[in-house]
Amino acid sequence: MRYFDARVIENRSLGGGYFVLRLGGCESLTGSRPGQFVMLRGDWGRDPLLPRPLSLLSVAHEGRADLLVKVVGKGTALMERSPPGSRVSVLGPLGNGFPVPSADVADLLVAGGVGLPPLFMQAESAGRLGMANGSEMLYGARTSRDLVLLGEIRALGIALRLATEDGSLGRRGRVTDELEARLDHWRAAASPRRLRIMACGPREMLWAVGRIAQSCDIECYLSMEEQMACGIGVCLGCAVAARTRPYLYVCKHGPVFPAAEVMAYAPAASTSQSEGGAQ
Amino acid sequence: MTSSLDTREEEAPALHTTCGGIEFRNPVLTASGTFGYGEEFDALLSLRSLGGLVTKGISPQPRLGNPPPRICETAAGMLNSIGLENVGVEAFAREKLPFLRSCGTRVLVNFFGTTFDEYVDCGARLAALDGVDGLEMNVSCPNIKQGGIEFGRDPTVLGDLVKACRAVVRKPLWVKLTPNTSDIVSLARACADNGADAVSIINTITGMAIDVRTRRPKIATVFGGLSGPAIKPIALRMVHQVRREKIPIPICGIGGIQDGIDAIEFLLAGASCVQVGTQSFVDPASAERIVREIEEHCRAQGVSDVGELIGALETGK
Repeated sequence: MRYFDARVIENRSLGGGYFVLRLGGCESLTGSRPGQFVMLRGDWGRDPLLPRPLSLLSVAHEGRADLLVKVVGKGTALMERSPPGSRVSVLGPLGNGFPVPSADVADLLVAGGVGLPPLFMQAESAGRLGMANGSEMLYGARTSRDLVLLGEIRALGIALRLATEDGSLGRRGRVTDELEARLDHWRAAASPRRLRIMACGPREMLWAVGRIAQSCDIECYLSMEEQMACGIGVCLGCAVAARTRPYLYVCKHGPVFPAAEVMAYAPAASTSQSEGGAQ
Repeated sequence: MTSSLDTREEEAPALHTTCGGIEFRNPVLTASGTFGYGEEFDALLSLRSLGGLVTKGISPQPRLGNPPPRICETAAGMLNSIGLENVGVEAFAREKLPFLRSCGTRVLVNFFGTTFDEYVDCGARLAALDGVDGLEMNVSCPNIKQGGIEFGRDPTVLGDLVKACRAVVRKPLWVKLTPNTSDIVSLARACADNGADAVSIINTITGMAIDVRTRRPKIATVFGGLSGPAIKPIALRMVHQVRREKIPIPICGIGGIQDGIDAIEFLLAGASCVQVGTQSFVDPASAERIVREIEEHCRAQGVSDVGELIGALETGK
């Protein structure tokens, strides 16, 4: 983990409030694992005050790092307007990350909306290990406008299945509907490989994925988000109720948790998604 | 050839300061609750460059803290309601103190209890530990026996609490005052009259924020403590009020310090040293930078000793 200055080298709009920030000067992020995140802050004075937790989308050689961001508040709106050359401060890589791909495991990567980045990076990592064709990505959002980087995902060599709530692209419905359908398929196919689920997205989606995994007794990892100020286990803001102890911290013990660790405390009520949480 | 005058001009300004019975190499400390137990920041700045650090608040027993959401951002600030979560005295001594003993900076341990006896017990145990340079009492804790009103809001209760802790703490004892009062001077006086060595001014200001879509408070406990640059003018005012009344113990100024100039404002208002809090979340290396900025300011202003700045405010009155 390092704290350093980086520069925006490209800021690519994807429409619908989504954009990819490409940063240069991120040599310290080399070797980051899928699921890890950074705390990022631009040179924008006192308001908004806190850095933003953002999951890594991709980390390449020569110190390049990509972040997928959606405008959800002041900080992300300022990032969207950051031209190439803008200075940003970066603290990272932070958190734990997803389990590494394995030849005897078929991974179902379940992404909801702006929860795509860690699963994109996981698929990229699987591709590098020559294991992308053994896994699938299930990617859902409200509308087709919220499904981004589709060409880039397909280029990773992973099977991609889409779902939109309005039916504008892929299956009409939620990504968890697609997950259930794929689990039926995998069970019918009697694959010798063990199934494993990794998910990132809105809290309600994660709980739904966790419930499905529990009901099928499938190993499952959830990348959580919560408001955080520091990213390094100091502010203790990002507490989530856990099974093995009263609270775990998204920044330090996560953001990726075995579903069983956090599912026992899945609340019935829905929670809002806002800018302070790791995307 | 260099004249003696030139040599003097090139000399680095003296930054060392004394506050509440502790000598610091410079007036910049980090505030409780924003700097963990120090080790979390070891890779991010030079701890040796700091005047000192104040640990997370320690209670006699470990505490689990409040349900989430615990924090939210507000205009130029943030609210928190962590619930004083900490590892407790024993684990602190066993797991956290070994690092702090060798970290190369002064270590103050923030502490609290939920009863008088807990405060006294906690203070005595912490003060006895090698590697602890001083204690800072957090008195913004609900007093269970008095209907949950904070110990630090009533000068009489506060005075009694300070007196009881003073009797067992043989190291420098500071008291971190709550700003949630109409009379900060009386609180500071109660501390001075009962043997405290210094007062830290201020702790967070009680506030709240609402999510208009869900119509719920943004933090689970409804109210939280406001910190960050939004509170700096209030903190400065309170430091100045206490200084103006000539309370006979020094002040450590806290509240929204982001840079060297902010820190110098506190020194001018009457603080002998300062603590950097929320800014360590914004920029984890800021405390070290603030030391450099104070030094640069002193050079630029021809100030040879940072002590010249303490209480040097001129109000024209």
